[in-house]
Amino acid sequence: MATVKLTNVKKIYGKDTVAVQDFNLDIADKEFIVFVGPSGCGKSTTLRMIAGLEDISEGTVEIDGVVVNDLQPRDRDIAMVFQNYALYPHLTVFENMAFSLRLRHAPQEVVYQKVTEAAEILDITEYLTRKPRALSGGQRQRVAIGRAMVRDSKVFLMDEPLSNLDAKLRNQMRAEIILLRQKIDTTFIYVTHDQTEAMTLGDRIVIMKDGFIQQVGTPTEVFDMPLNLFVAEFIGAPKMNTFATELAHEDGKYYVKPYGAKIEVTGKKAAMLADKQVASGEIILGVRPEHFKLTNANDPAAIACKITVNEMMGSELHLHAQTENGDKLIVRIPTVSLDDEVRHSMVYSQTIYVTFEGKVMHFFDKETEQNLLV
Amino acid sequence: MKRLNDLEYLRLDKGRAFLYNVVMFFCAIPGFFGGAILKLLRLCKKGVTAIGKEIADIVRTFVRGNWAVRLSFVIFGFGNFYYGQPLRGALFLLFELVFCAYMLVPGGARHWLGLAFKETSLLARSGFEWLVKSNFLQTGQTVGDVPPREEIVQGLLGSTTVTVYGDDSVKVLLYALLSIFFIIAFIYTWRLQIRQCRICMDITAKGKKVRSGKQDLASLVDDQFHKTMLALPLVGILTFTVLPIIYMVLIAFTSYDAAHDGYANLFSWVGLHNFNQLFNFGQGGLGLAFGEILAWTLMWSFFATFTNYFLGMFVAIMINKKGIKIKKFWRTVLVMTIAIPQFVSLLYVSRLFDDSGVLGKLLINGVNTLVDWNVLPDSMTLAANFSLWDGEWTAKILLIVLNIWIGIPYIMLMATGILMNIPTDLYESSRIDGANTFQQYARITLPYMLFVTGPYLLTSFVGNLNNFNVIYLLTGGGPNNGIAGGVSVGHTDLLITWLYRMTIESPKAEYYTASIIGIMVFLVVAILSLIVYNVIPSTKNEEDFK
Amino acid sequence: MKQIRTKKPHTSLLGAKASRRLGNAIIYLLLTVITVVWLFPFFGIVLESFRVESGAQVGYLWPKQFGADNYIRLLRETDFLRWFINTGIMGVATAILQTVFVLSMSYTLSRLRFKGRRGLMNFMLILGMFPGFLTLILIYKVFVDLGLTANMAPLGLIIVYCASSGMGYYVAKGFFDTIPKSLDEAARVDGATRLQVFYKVIMPLSKPIVIYTVLMGFMAPWGDFMLANYLIHENSRGMSVAVGMFEWLSRANMNEKYTLFCAAGVIVSIPVVSVFLLLQRYYVEGVTGGAVKG
Repeated sequence: MATVKLTNVKKIYGKDTVAVQDFNLDIADKEFIVFVGPSGCGKSTTLRMIAGLEDISEGTVEIDGVVVNDLQPRDRDIAMVFQNYALYPHLTVFENMAFSLRLRHAPQEVVYQKVTEAAEILDITEYLTRKPRALSGGQRQRVAIGRAMVRDSKVFLMDEPLSNLDAKLRNQMRAEIILLRQKIDTTFIYVTHDQTEAMTLGDRIVIMKDGFIQQVGTPTEVFDMPLNLFVAEFIGAPKMNTFATELAHEDGKYYVKPYGAKIEVTGKKAAMLADKQVASGEIILGVRPEHFKLTNANDPAAIACKITVNEMMGSELHLHAQTENGDKLIVRIPTVSLDDEVRHSMVYSQTIYVTFEGKVMHFFDKETEQNLLV
Repeated sequence: MKRLNDLEYLRLDKGRAFLYNVVMFFCAIPGFFGGAILKLLRLCKKGVTAIGKEIADIVRTFVRGNWAVRLSFVIFGFGNFYYGQPLRGALFLLFELVFCAYMLVPGGARHWLGLAFKETSLLARSGFEWLVKSNFLQTGQTVGDVPPREEIVQGLLGSTTVTVYGDDSVKVLLYALLSIFFIIAFIYTWRLQIRQCRICMDITAKGKKVRSGKQDLASLVDDQFHKTMLALPLVGILTFTVLPIIYMVLIAFTSYDAAHDGYANLFSWVGLHNFNQLFNFGQGGLGLAFGEILAWTLMWSFFATFTNYFLGMFVAIMINKKGIKIKKFWRTVLVMTIAIPQFVSLLYVSRLFDDSGVLGKLLINGVNTLVDWNVLPDSMTLAANFSLWDGEWTAKILLIVLNIWIGIPYIMLMATGILMNIPTDLYESSRIDGANTFQQYARITLPYMLFVTGPYLLTSFVGNLNNFNVIYLLTGGGPNNGIAGGVSVGHTDLLITWLYRMTIESPKAEYYTASIIGIMVFLVVAILSLIVYNVIPSTKNEEDFK
Repeated sequence: MKQIRTKKPHTSLLGAKASRRLGNAIIYLLLTVITVVWLFPFFGIVLESFRVESGAQVGYLWPKQFGADNYIRLLRETDFLRWFINTGIMGVATAILQTVFVLSMSYTLSRLRFKGRRGLMNFMLILGMFPGFLTLILIYKVFVDLGLTANMAPLGLIIVYCASSGMGYYVAKGFFDTIPKSLDEAARVDGATRLQVFYKVIMPLSKPIVIYTVLMGFMAPWGDFMLANYLIHENSRGMSVAVGMFEWLSRANMNEKYTLFCAAGVIVSIPVVSVFLLLQRYYVEGVTGGAVKG
């Protein structure tokens, strides 16, 4: 149970390969923080610097107010779960989990109690005498978590713990981690490349790209108000549609004009635009797939496009479509909102008309790709 | 020729693509050497700037340092004592004392090593003196300066002549070399402890604590663990490989042989004289002998490596073919040759082919019977003492054949492992694409093997280059080729056996020639490795086949 | 554009099954020939070692009179037993020391990162290009003074075999490279020092390579002739089997001691071959891994 503070952390490999820079973050006690980003963005490197597995090139890392830059991993009082589990193949599950306690010369009854307790929580009691190679992927994952649990450490680090599992198991384990978190009340730092994991698990999410932090915020914050185009496209699935278009300021009202349509900006977004006194001009417009709806050709706000792919997901349809000038759109429509007839007509090269409401748009600067409303 | 881009390259048909690659390879050579030279220059520049920085840092440390730091410029480790690192300080100080004892105290070197050395020479000199008296690398000077002399001693029973020994060049050079090692280590340590002083100074100035001796010791099993682990092996390598090799390279510039050995006679520095002898193709020069042996060495390595490689792979494929039973038995049969000590199997086999050996006899009788039956012409009749080992080419061919007997098992084992690693879906997919067994071999197995074993081929080539056992135990280098070269030179001698025989069989024991041959072996191997590493793919794209 | 056609399925004279049988038959034949050729010398040496009628080469293999005379002579009339013990001691000592040297070197280069690691590896690569025998000229001179030749040669040889053995780290490093790095990291996070990582995590997983290294160390003195012959040089109590037995096949001794050599060869081969065959699996793993890793 501890705070973690990173100040101006920087990581340079070799001569001049910068992996992480300007990393500043305050992690509160018992907070669940998720580092998320595409591969190579520096999220794992940052985690490994906190763990002490990588040297910190510049800046400081503090755990509970103590600068740990020069401490060995074993002196930092952290526990870590690795992507490939890193279970010791020659030890039984029990000994794997007891390993850290044995190194600290804990008495047998303490070891027994802690390990069985953790095994109970993770539901792996019956495997305690087995070797890791006799376990399935999900069971190994539990052992790896159990090994970290018995430590009662200050910080709990997890490096893409679910990425080696298949989709179904991953969902199940994700739910279990949420439960687990309530049982072991400590500070979590969790690394993943999967935005769903990030959104569902994190109290706060740190979105990274090319070594820089793009945005830090709660799941709602980063979803509703992405700071830049990268975050907007990264968070949310299917990803947000973006297109270069014109923002017009006419008669005190704002309009966007994508593909010949004219749509008025309404609600909070309009007020914010006015507040910021944004002028007319070329912008990048972002609209999430679920905010589209079908309309007809007569609607002045209609965008005409042709279906390229129709993905039937069950509860909803993902329509991949192409506008007249070749831009690609993804539209997400609840299945129940469509008549069977309409649904069956949604086939390759069929023209559909879509539009979206004025209050759900995101506006990004064409040059800097920053959100215009922040 | 213009470099093509990827798509242009893909348009070329097979022949042109090959031609293009060949041309590109040769075009790249000047660039390669140019690049190497550039790299070297850059390295030099880096070295100079690094030394400049070091000196600047030393000066800065002296200027900024307090009295304790300044004192440690003379007394090693003083700064460490001052800043509370007595353990490090003591080690530095100890080193300085040992250094002084070795370099300055007359006889210090001897007493120091004398615990172990049974020194017969009575001279007591300091390490520094040894270095001076060795006339290090000064052409024309002797190594050491006190030759042995005869002295007449008046005894009760009249006068007797006694030899009073002076310097032993071998040891003078050794002590001198040790002195050089010591001086280098001294400079390095001096610099090291000055840097540590500065670091301590900086840390203390920041108000932090320096590492204690206890922490230092603890770090030896943790973040400095590599030092603990490497200490023993590196000391071994330093004393038993690095030092002797430098010593033996120096010997190439001296006249050290049986006639100038030890106390009997000092040897001297001769400059490049020995190297000139190596390329002297006239009377008394080594040129002819060296040329012939080098040619055979390369030829031998080539045949020995590739016959083994392909035949061994062939055997492995046979054994591993689906449907072949008792695989383990076939493998074990071959592995027996690895297990039995080579000197037993090779010596025995060598005698089998002698004139009185079973196979030798069989050959003589067989050929003679065929002559009797008029199958072979009369001119082929073999004498009763005919031996394949006596003819130059019969011996060479027999060597290569017998080496197959020795070598195939190794390749077979290795190839077996690799064959089992080739994913079976490659074969399945190729069968669906329409490949037959032979095509599968040529297009999947062979490329895969060549790719994976590329580095091994080099190692094995070099191993054969230095394959002392097979040659020496089978032929002993013979038959003699009659080229005069100080030592009898055999037709089947490799550089390494020649070197060996020169030092152990020849009464002249030309150590300087041995040293030169050693250097030549090094050059051959180094050049070969350089070429191979720049050509074969697996050293570059390690992941291609994974 | 040319049309690319699939070849007509060709029909062979034999059916697929029959042609495969024929192929296998040929392979069995070849393998049998190979077996005979490979084992011939070993049968020969065993047979000749039991020959009573003559100690020289006789031009035939099957003894006219079988008997263990040669073996008895070996123990009664020669120093063979001493050589054998010498070599055995060297084998055991080399196995232990060499394993320590090789494993610590290869482990360090494989799993620890430190300044100068690459440089050290390149340096050893270049150093290894010199013929190792060259160093023996100086080492011999020094060993004479230290009294480590002749009668004490086994001790000297152990030093020679082991001291620089760290340079042969390649195979073992290849093995260590295959153990996932995250095991070390997990252990370090769990609170292990690097020393503890070494003996609590990695060593228990490295049985194959430890056995391979021990095996190689043990076999070295049995197979080495070059270094041993140089260091031992003259007749002495410190001889190894290789040096001693080599003399028996010289022109001068051949006529008397040829069968003695055969008998000695059989005795020498027994421990080495049995150890080797017992641990064959590990040897194969080492050879394959080493070659693949390069």
